[in-house]
Amino acid sequence: MADAPVFQSPITNPTPAKGSLTLTDESELTKVSVRGAHIAVSFGTCEQRGDVLVVGSRPDEWTLLGPADAVAAVVSGLDLSGFASTTDITHSRLMIRLTGDDAARAMEKACGIDLSDAMTPNGAAVGASVAKVTCDVVRDDVVSDGREAVRSYRFLADRSFGQYFWDALRDCTAEF
Amino acid sequence: MLLVPCPNCGPRSSQDLTYGGESHSRPDPKTATPEEWRTYLYLRDNPSGWLVETWYCSSGCRRWFKLERHTLTGELRDPILPGSKTGVASDEATNIQGGTK
Ligand SMILES: [Zn+2]
Repeated sequence: MADAPVFQSPITNPTPAKGSLTLTDESELTKVSVRGAHIAVSFGTCEQRGDVLVVGSRPDEWTLLGPADAVAAVVSGLDLSGFASTTDITHSRLMIRLTGDDAARAMEKACGIDLSDAMTPNGAAVGASVAKVTCDVVRDDVVSDGREAVRSYRFLADRSFGQYFWDALRDCTAEF
Repeated sequence: MLLVPCPNCGPRSSQDLTYGGESHSRPDPKTATPEEWRTYLYLRDNPSGWLVETWYCSSGCRRWFKLERHTLTGELRDPILPGSKTGVASDEATNIQGGTK
Protein backbone atom coordinates (compact mmCIF):
# COMPACT_ATOMS: atom_id res chain seq x y z
CA MET A 1 0.00 0.00 0.00
CA ALA A 2 1.26 3.48 -0.82
CA ASP A 3 2.26 5.69 2.06
CA ALA A 4 -0.14 8.45 3.02
CA PRO A 5 0.96 11.74 1.46
CA VAL A 6 3.12 13.87 3.73
CA PHE A 7 1.33 17.08 4.65
CA GLN A 8 3.07 20.29 3.69
CA SER A 9 1.59 23.54 4.83
CA PRO A 10 0.92 26.10 2.10
CA ILE A 11 2.14 28.78 4.49
CA THR A 12 5.84 28.68 3.82
CA ASN A 13 6.75 31.82 5.73
CA PRO A 14 4.62 32.07 8.91
CA THR A 15 5.94 35.39 10.16
CA PRO A 16 4.49 36.01 13.64
CA ALA A 17 1.59 38.46 13.98
CA LYS A 18 2.30 42.00 15.04
CA GLY A 19 1.24 43.41 18.40
CA SER A 20 -0.77 41.51 20.97
CA LEU A 21 -2.53 39.04 18.65
CA THR A 22 -1.24 35.62 17.67
CA LEU A 23 -1.58 33.76 14.39
CA THR A 24 -1.17 30.00 14.32
CA ASP A 25 -0.89 27.75 11.29
CA GLU A 26 -3.19 24.78 12.01
CA SER A 27 -3.25 23.54 8.43
CA GLU A 28 -1.89 20.12 9.37
CA LEU A 29 -5.14 19.21 11.16
CA THR A 30 -7.13 16.49 9.46
CA LYS A 31 -10.19 18.00 7.77
CA VAL A 32 -13.08 15.95 6.51
CA SER A 33 -16.13 17.30 4.75
CA VAL A 34 -19.40 15.42 5.37
CA ARG A 35 -22.46 15.97 3.20
CA GLY A 36 -25.99 14.76 3.55
CA ALA A 37 -25.43 12.84 6.78
CA HIS A 38 -27.42 13.21 9.97
CA ILE A 39 -25.32 15.09 12.48
CA ALA A 40 -26.93 16.92 15.37
CA VAL A 41 -24.90 20.09 14.91
CA SER A 42 -26.91 22.90 13.31
CA PHE A 43 -25.77 25.06 10.45
CA GLY A 44 -23.94 28.07 11.81
CA THR A 45 -22.70 26.39 14.97
CA CYS A 46 -19.89 24.06 16.01
CA GLU A 47 -19.46 21.49 18.73
CA GLN A 48 -16.40 19.86 20.28
CA ARG A 49 -16.68 16.05 20.36
CA GLY A 50 -13.64 14.74 22.12
CA ASP A 51 -10.66 15.99 20.11
CA VAL A 52 -12.77 16.73 17.05
CA LEU A 53 -14.48 19.99 16.27
CA VAL A 54 -17.69 19.38 14.30
CA VAL A 55 -18.59 22.47 12.31
CA GLY A 56 -22.02 23.00 10.74
CA SER A 57 -20.59 24.82 7.74
CA ARG A 58 -23.58 24.64 5.33
CA PRO A 59 -27.24 23.73 5.72
CA ASP A 60 -26.48 20.07 4.88
CA GLU A 61 -22.72 19.98 5.20
CA TRP A 62 -20.30 19.61 8.10
CA THR A 63 -16.55 19.86 8.48
CA LEU A 64 -14.69 17.69 10.98
CA LEU A 65 -11.42 19.09 12.31
CA GLY A 66 -8.93 17.32 14.53
CA PRO A 67 -6.18 14.71 14.75
CA ALA A 68 -6.41 12.01 12.06
CA ASP A 69 -7.31 9.13 14.43
CA ALA A 70 -9.98 11.09 16.25
CA VAL A 71 -11.60 12.31 13.00
CA ALA A 72 -11.57 8.76 11.61
CA ALA A 73 -13.32 7.56 14.77
CA VAL A 74 -16.04 10.19 14.42
CA VAL A 75 -16.51 9.36 10.71
CA SER A 76 -16.85 5.65 11.45
CA GLY A 77 -19.66 6.43 13.89
CA LEU A 78 -21.71 8.48 11.43
CA ASP A 79 -24.93 7.41 9.81
CA LEU A 80 -23.92 7.61 6.13
CA SER A 81 -26.98 5.96 4.68
CA GLY A 82 -28.66 7.38 1.59
CA PHE A 83 -26.73 10.02 -0.34
CA ALA A 84 -24.31 10.93 2.44
CA SER A 85 -20.65 11.31 1.53
CA THR A 86 -17.36 12.11 3.22
CA THR A 87 -14.37 13.74 1.56
CA ASP A 88 -10.94 14.19 3.11
CA ILE A 89 -10.00 17.80 2.35
CA THR A 90 -6.89 17.90 4.53
CA HIS A 91 -4.56 18.56 1.61
CA SER A 92 -6.78 21.04 -0.21
CA ARG A 93 -7.49 23.44 2.67
CA LEU A 94 -5.52 25.57 5.04
CA MET A 95 -6.44 26.49 8.56
CA ILE A 96 -5.25 29.56 10.43
CA ARG A 97 -6.15 30.57 13.96
CA LEU A 98 -6.24 34.20 15.10
CA THR A 99 -6.27 34.67 18.87
CA GLY A 100 -6.36 37.71 21.12
CA ASP A 101 -8.71 40.13 22.84
CA ASP A 102 -8.69 42.38 19.77
CA ALA A 103 -9.20 39.56 17.26
CA ALA A 104 -12.65 40.82 16.26
CA ARG A 105 -11.44 44.38 15.76
CA ALA A 106 -8.56 43.12 13.63
CA MET A 107 -10.92 41.02 11.52
CA GLU A 108 -13.22 43.97 10.95
CA LYS A 109 -10.50 45.35 8.68
CA ALA A 110 -10.95 42.50 6.21
CA CYS A 111 -14.43 41.08 6.65
CA GLY A 112 -18.04 42.28 6.55
CA ILE A 113 -19.41 39.87 9.16
CA ASP A 114 -21.05 41.20 12.32
CA LEU A 115 -18.61 39.89 14.94
CA SER A 116 -20.53 41.04 18.00
CA ASP A 117 -21.29 38.48 20.71
CA ALA A 118 -24.97 38.70 19.83
CA MET A 119 -24.48 37.66 16.20
CA THR A 120 -21.36 35.47 16.35
CA PRO A 121 -20.95 34.15 19.91
CA ASN A 122 -18.36 31.57 20.85
CA GLY A 123 -19.25 28.42 18.90
CA ALA A 124 -20.60 30.28 15.87
CA ALA A 125 -19.61 29.16 12.37
CA VAL A 126 -20.12 31.42 9.36
CA GLY A 127 -19.18 31.41 5.73
CA ALA A 128 -17.50 34.70 4.94
CA SER A 129 -15.24 36.61 2.63
CA VAL A 130 -12.11 37.58 4.56
CA ALA A 131 -9.54 39.67 2.69
CA LYS A 132 -11.39 38.58 -0.50
CA VAL A 133 -10.84 34.92 0.38
CA THR A 134 -13.99 32.83 0.72
CA CYS A 135 -13.60 30.82 3.88
CA ASP A 136 -15.38 29.24 6.81
CA VAL A 137 -14.88 31.17 10.02
CA VAL A 138 -15.36 29.43 13.35
CA ARG A 139 -15.29 31.29 16.63
CA ASP A 140 -13.54 28.94 19.02
CA ASP A 141 -12.42 30.92 22.07
CA VAL A 142 -9.38 29.64 23.92
CA VAL A 143 -10.02 28.70 27.53
CA SER A 144 -7.13 28.10 29.86
CA ASP A 145 -7.38 27.15 33.53
CA GLY A 146 -8.42 29.90 35.88
CA ARG A 147 -8.39 32.59 33.22
CA GLU A 148 -11.00 34.35 31.19
CA ALA A 149 -11.62 32.93 27.71
CA VAL A 150 -9.63 34.66 24.98
CA ARG A 151 -11.38 35.43 21.72
CA SER A 152 -10.20 33.23 18.89
CA TYR A 153 -11.22 32.58 15.28
CA ARG A 154 -10.28 29.74 12.98
CA PHE A 155 -10.29 30.22 9.22
CA LEU A 156 -10.68 27.37 6.76
CA ALA A 157 -9.88 28.29 3.17
CA ASP A 158 -8.47 26.86 -0.06
CA ARG A 159 -4.78 26.11 0.37
CA SER A 160 -3.76 28.00 -2.76
CA PHE A 161 -4.43 31.24 -0.84
CA GLY A 162 -2.00 30.13 1.89
CA GLN A 163 0.79 32.65 2.12
CA TYR A 164 -1.33 35.55 0.87
CA PHE A 165 -4.04 34.82 3.43
CA TRP A 166 -1.52 34.59 6.27
CA ASP A 167 0.07 37.89 5.25
CA ALA A 168 -3.33 39.57 4.88
CA LEU A 169 -4.42 38.48 8.37
CA ARG A 170 -1.05 39.52 9.74
CA ASP A 171 -1.49 42.99 8.26
CA CYS A 172 -4.86 43.24 10.04
CA THR A 173 -3.15 42.65 13.39
CA ALA A 174 -0.65 45.47 12.95
CA GLU A 175 -2.24 48.15 15.13
CA PHE A 176 -3.30 46.01 18.11
CA MET B 1 -23.92 48.55 -0.19
CA LEU B 2 -27.13 46.63 0.45
CA LEU B 3 -27.80 44.56 3.53
CA VAL B 4 -29.22 41.40 1.98
CA PRO B 5 -31.24 39.03 4.21
CA CYS B 6 -30.13 35.48 3.37
CA PRO B 7 -32.71 32.93 4.60
CA ASN B 8 -29.85 30.84 6.04
CA CYS B 9 -27.21 33.36 7.12
CA GLY B 10 -29.27 36.38 8.08
CA PRO B 11 -28.37 39.92 7.00
CA ARG B 12 -25.14 40.04 4.97
CA SER B 13 -23.32 42.64 2.93
CA SER B 14 -24.26 42.42 -0.75
CA GLN B 15 -20.53 42.08 -1.46
CA ASP B 16 -20.73 38.62 0.10
CA LEU B 17 -23.42 37.58 -2.39
CA THR B 18 -23.79 37.32 -6.16
CA TYR B 19 -26.74 38.94 -7.87
CA GLY B 20 -28.76 36.53 -10.01
CA GLY B 21 -31.06 39.03 -11.66
CA GLU B 22 -34.81 39.11 -12.14
CA SER B 23 -36.61 35.91 -11.44
CA HIS B 24 -38.55 34.40 -14.35
CA SER B 25 -40.24 31.07 -14.82
CA ARG B 26 -38.31 28.96 -17.32
CA PRO B 27 -40.46 28.03 -20.33
CA ASP B 28 -41.04 24.36 -21.11
CA PRO B 29 -38.26 23.36 -23.59
CA LYS B 30 -40.65 20.97 -25.34
CA THR B 31 -43.18 23.61 -26.27
CA ALA B 32 -41.43 27.02 -26.05
CA THR B 33 -41.28 29.11 -29.20
CA PRO B 34 -38.08 31.01 -30.14
CA GLU B 35 -39.83 34.21 -29.05
CA GLU B 36 -40.54 32.77 -25.63
CA TRP B 37 -36.91 31.69 -25.24
CA ARG B 38 -35.69 35.07 -26.32
CA THR B 39 -38.00 36.77 -23.84
CA TYR B 40 -36.84 34.45 -21.06
CA LEU B 41 -33.16 34.90 -21.83
CA TYR B 42 -32.88 38.57 -22.71
CA LEU B 43 -35.89 40.67 -21.78
CA ARG B 44 -36.36 42.10 -18.31
CA ASP B 45 -39.39 43.75 -16.75
CA ASN B 46 -37.32 46.37 -14.92
CA PRO B 47 -40.29 47.72 -12.95
CA SER B 48 -40.32 50.80 -10.81
CA GLY B 49 -41.37 49.11 -7.56
CA TRP B 50 -41.24 45.63 -6.12
CA LEU B 51 -39.24 43.08 -8.10
CA VAL B 52 -38.69 39.37 -7.39
CA GLU B 53 -35.03 38.55 -7.94
CA THR B 54 -32.50 35.80 -7.27
CA TRP B 55 -29.31 35.97 -5.21
CA TYR B 56 -26.51 33.49 -4.60
CA CYS B 57 -24.97 33.45 -1.12
CA SER B 58 -21.48 32.90 -2.50
CA SER B 59 -19.48 33.61 0.66
CA GLY B 60 -21.99 32.19 3.13
CA CYS B 61 -24.23 29.16 2.80
CA ARG B 62 -23.74 28.81 -0.99
CA ARG B 63 -27.41 28.58 -1.75
CA TRP B 64 -29.55 30.37 -4.32
CA PHE B 65 -32.61 32.13 -2.97
CA LYS B 66 -35.18 34.70 -3.96
CA LEU B 67 -36.33 37.89 -2.39
CA GLU B 68 -38.25 40.99 -3.27
CA ARG B 69 -36.46 44.28 -3.76
CA HIS B 70 -38.03 47.68 -4.21
CA THR B 71 -36.16 49.26 -7.09
CA LEU B 72 -36.92 52.79 -5.93
CA THR B 73 -36.21 52.53 -2.22
CA GLY B 74 -33.75 49.59 -2.14
CA GLU B 75 -35.90 47.92 0.52
CA LEU B 76 -35.57 44.11 0.67
CA ARG B 77 -38.17 41.65 1.96
CA ASP B 78 -39.40 38.06 1.98
CA PRO B 79 -36.25 36.01 1.30
CA ILE B 80 -37.16 32.45 0.40
CA LEU B 81 -35.27 29.26 -0.43
CA PRO B 82 -36.13 27.11 -3.44
CA GLY B 83 -38.73 24.48 -2.63
CA SER B 84 -40.05 26.40 0.35
CA LYS B 85 -43.82 26.72 0.39
CA THR B 86 -44.10 29.99 2.23
CA GLY B 87 -43.65 33.56 1.10
CA VAL B 88 -44.62 35.40 -2.04
CA ALA B 89 -42.09 33.84 -4.41
CA SER B 90 -43.02 30.22 -3.74
CA ASP B 91 -44.80 29.61 -7.06
CA GLU B 92 -41.57 30.27 -8.94
CA ALA B 93 -39.17 28.98 -6.34
CA THR B 94 -38.24 25.83 -8.28
CA ASN B 95 -37.20 27.84 -11.33
CA ILE B 96 -34.34 29.79 -9.83
CA GLN B 97 -31.87 30.90 -12.48
CA GLY B 98 -28.44 29.37 -12.61
CA GLY B 99 -29.05 26.40 -10.32
CA THR B 100 -26.44 25.42 -7.76
CA LYS B 101 -22.87 26.40 -8.47
ZN1 LIG C 1 -26.43 32.42 3.10
